[in-house]
Amino acid sequence: MTALLLDQVTKDFGDKRAVDDLSFAVGDGEVFGFLGGNGAGKTTSLRMVLDIIRPTSGRIEILGRRPGRENSGDLGFLPEERGLYRTMTALETITYFGRLKGMTRGDARAEGKTLLDRFGLGSSANTKIEKLSKGMAQKVQLAAAVVNAPRLLILDEPFSGLDPVNQGLLEDEIRRLSRQGSTIVFSTHVMQHAERLCDRLLLLAEGRKAFEGTQDEARATLPARLMLTSRETPMGLPGVASVAQLGGNDGWSDWDVRLETGGDPGDLLLACTERRFALRRFEQSRPSLHDVFIHIVGGEEGQA
Amino acid sequence: MSNPILLVAAREFRQIAATRSFWITLLILPFALAIGPLASHFMEKPHTETVMLIDRSGQAVPAIAERIELEHQRQVLQSLSRYSESHDLDRADPKAAWARHDHYYSDAEVKAFVAAGGARRAEAAMRRVAAPDTKPFDEPEADYRIVPPSPALAASGPADIARTLPGLVSPSRKDHGAEPLDYAVYIPADFARGGTPVQVWSDGAVAGQLMGVLQDTLTRAMRLHFLEVQGVRPETANAAQLIAPMIAVNRPSPGEGHEQVIIRSILPLLVSYLLLMSLMLSGSWMLQGTVEERSNKLLETVLACVSPNQLMYGKLIGTVAVGLTMVAVWVACAIGAAFATQGMIADFLRPALAPLSQPSVAIAMIYYFFAGYIMISMIFLTIGAMSDSMRDAQSYLSPVMLVIAMPFAIIAQAVLRDSSSLGVRIMSWIPIYTPFTMLARLGAGVPLWEVIGCAVTLAAFIAIEVVMLGRVFRASLLGSGSKPNLARIGRLMRGRESE
Repeated sequence: MTALLLDQVTKDFGDKRAVDDLSFAVGDGEVFGFLGGNGAGKTTSLRMVLDIIRPTSGRIEILGRRPGRENSGDLGFLPEERGLYRTMTALETITYFGRLKGMTRGDARAEGKTLLDRFGLGSSANTKIEKLSKGMAQKVQLAAAVVNAPRLLILDEPFSGLDPVNQGLLEDEIRRLSRQGSTIVFSTHVMQHAERLCDRLLLLAEGRKAFEGTQDEARATLPARLMLTSRETPMGLPGVASVAQLGGNDGWSDWDVRLETGGDPGDLLLACTERRFALRRFEQSRPSLHDVFIHIVGGEEGQA
Repeated sequence: MSNPILLVAAREFRQIAATRSFWITLLILPFALAIGPLASHFMEKPHTETVMLIDRSGQAVPAIAERIELEHQRQVLQSLSRYSESHDLDRADPKAAWARHDHYYSDAEVKAFVAAGGARRAEAAMRRVAAPDTKPFDEPEADYRIVPPSPALAASGPADIARTLPGLVSPSRKDHGAEPLDYAVYIPADFARGGTPVQVWSDGAVAGQLMGVLQDTLTRAMRLHFLEVQGVRPETANAAQLIAPMIAVNRPSPGEGHEQVIIRSILPLLVSYLLLMSLMLSGSWMLQGTVEERSNKLLETVLACVSPNQLMYGKLIGTVAVGLTMVAVWVACAIGAAFATQGMIADFLRPALAPLSQPSVAIAMIYYFFAGYIMISMIFLTIGAMSDSMRDAQSYLSPVMLVIAMPFAIIAQAVLRDSSSLGVRIMSWIPIYTPFTMLARLGAGVPLWEVIGCAVTLAAFIAIEVVMLGRVFRASLLGSGSKPNLARIGRLMRGRESE
């Protein structure tokens, strides 16, 4: 089943097109990364999913339904810009948002207490938000987002502003919810988190989809890079786009080899064997998502 | 309760009710009700003023004292007549002077009233026919009390008197704990012949009534002297002094006429004022809450759970609930005070509450109160949604407050003067002033067509306002950067700019 579907969605603000013909689907139970630089259209897209703003054109489906507050019982949302009612207590806050999502008061309070205990805030349940530290308040926000055990959890830049401890806690919570069957969509421009968590990802650039697929598929968009040590230059071998000599010793030379886009290092190894091309080292260098991001998004946006 | 609107309303109510300023405001009126009578008791100037008479003629003091007492008894008789009329007690003695109400009591009638036992006798007669819960007659205080001069002062010459008396009426004398003296009067021996003038000392303006008594009494003495000098026999001259016209007074019964308009307008005017006051307070609290939601970056989280309209209606309901709670507590305290005092306030409240005995007036008052609340709260709500800080909000709020609140005092005065004047009627049809004006006018009576017409116009205005300001509210919720100017607000209201 598809948890989230965007079909040719466009959003204009006056003359400015924030999201341009965006289509993608997130399967049930997936952890889906929504990557892009600042101003790429991530927050706008997520706000449309949540029906906070309406698309100019296109179609959105959440858990098989149209966007709307009737879905709030199945949704969890942690916005990029976060805040809480300062004069409410931690437990009141979680209970309030639980009730807005259709939970009964009793259920919301019980689940709120469980979450606060799990986040190490059990003793601060009745403390007003204004008296909590920033880190503690961030945990309360996370608890308010997941109090209803959402089928679809949407996190907009969830790691921004979090200290390393809370980043770890959030990653654990995402994994826990994922194990329980929740679908998770999160936007970020910090690739390390995406690398650790995402099953699939989408790269957004200037409001348009630049890539959608698994991490391996993303890496495959970059030309493979190898470190070879051989007597002869590997240039001329099938699939090799360029080589650079790094040094040498006793007649052996080290080479930085780049394959043509789509070239498979395995095919190159096979070709070397068939041609009796002597090798003392054949080391594949795996590109990071960061490299992929820079490669696909490129330019200023990629540096953002 | 799982309705998101009610959840938002309840949270809004709790947030405001948790503030110190809410409780201070809520309790300030009961506190004022409790402390007001005490304060006025301590601050009130004694009604009876003291007069020292130094009479060298030897004849004026008894005449002035008699005149002062006569005027006091006339007042007592008038009050008694009013009391009898108000409580329907004329049947106790239909022939008594106090049973005649369309009348200015002559000196002879007042003297006859005193000779017949005065207020005490009259009240005893009334009590026999009065209902058990009729409050007792409260005899008015005498206006003046004569204070005798010290023997030394009485014996001193005119020059010493002129030196001493100004000091006796000066405020410093009162500050030093001496018996207060309001007036000192020196009557020279030859005043009747038009010789040395009579002198009056006071530490302020001299009351017209006292001057009237002095003028009247001393003029009589001078005329008597003149007639006697002209050879008129003393008995004839005295009889001439007693000649007085009979004056009939035509006025409405107590609580009717203009008095009725004023008394019946008190409650509606009070409701109108309460509306204005509670609106300003609860509106500004709601505005603070909305500004906090914006500045704390809370709105996106909330809007993921409730729609902008649900948020808007929830906030409106929460604010209306806060305002109504305040008004309910204030009214309950006022009624409690009325029951507790059982006296003046209750007597005042009974006729003041009379408009509520007409269901149509009561319904109209409730409608205009609610409608006024929604109309003005919507403005506050929109300002809150457009503002990142209270300073931002203030720049929108100040002109709005000025437009809403300034004409209120004019409306109140105009309604008391003439509730159906052209100006007041025009104000009734301007939606932003309709609730205040109509609430203020309802006590004095407003034609039904006007009540309905204004109500329909107001409802239509509120519907348009909710739609147009609702657009501004929704568009501004997640907006950031500089606050929208009037042109942009206008475009948003007309729906010509994307929300």
